Amino acid sequence: MVLLQLDPFLNELTSMFERSTEKGSVWVTLKRSSLKSKVQKNKLATAGEAIEYRCLIRATDGKKTISASVGPKDHQRFQASYATILKAHMTALKKRERKDKKKSAEIEKREGSSKRPKKS
Amino acid sequence: MVYITSWDEFLDRSVQLFRADPDSTRYVMKYRHCDGKLVLKVTDNRQCLKYKTDQAQEAKKMEKLNNIFFTLMARGPEVDLSEVTGKEQTDAQPVKKGRGRKQ
Repeated sequence: MVLLQLDPFLNELTSMFERSTEKGSVWVTLKRSSLKSKVQKNKLATAGEAIEYRCLIRATDGKKTISASVGPKDHQRFQASYATILKAHMTALKKRERKDKKKSAEIEKREGSSKRPKKS
Repeated sequence: MVYITSWDEFLDRSVQLFRADPDSTRYVMKYRHCDGKLVLKVTDNRQCLKYKTDQAQEAKKMEKLNNIFFTLMARGPEVDLSEVTGKEQTDAQPVKKGRGRKQ
């Protein structure tokens, strides 16, 4: 597993999404981690020092695994670019219109009668 | 594990699960483009909560959950989530203003 910097991670995640459009899935895992071994953690704990936790983010397409660690300072910036990537690639999800076309016709009928009294 | 059908229930229970055991709880998002499916999973290796969707509008809810977990994990489980959920409150404010104008 490769621990990447935030921007290379996002780039690699983008290409993972692009590679898996025809078949396959992409998994993204978030976990709270101190990135230290148990021994190191125990040492810190006995020394009475606080353990610094970060958010570990891992992504895999079943063939390759990448990871990055997001700290409290950069999580907001990372979060924003991560959301942008997700939005750009999750295009196979059904849009509202498809389901709502049938539903909205019914709703319009119902709301049509209920809305008019409100306006007046 | 059976999929949870109510988003609010999934959200509440996920945050509870994480706060109960922050060190071993993880949040996994699985996206399958060819089937257009999105599965969210939160587990602490004892309990497993899952939520499945194929609706694009649900992706926005997922974004909120992402934000919540990024905040919880990067800053610590004690963090007040009102900052993250506070955005929803500011969204709701214009509605209140609208009501005021009508009056």
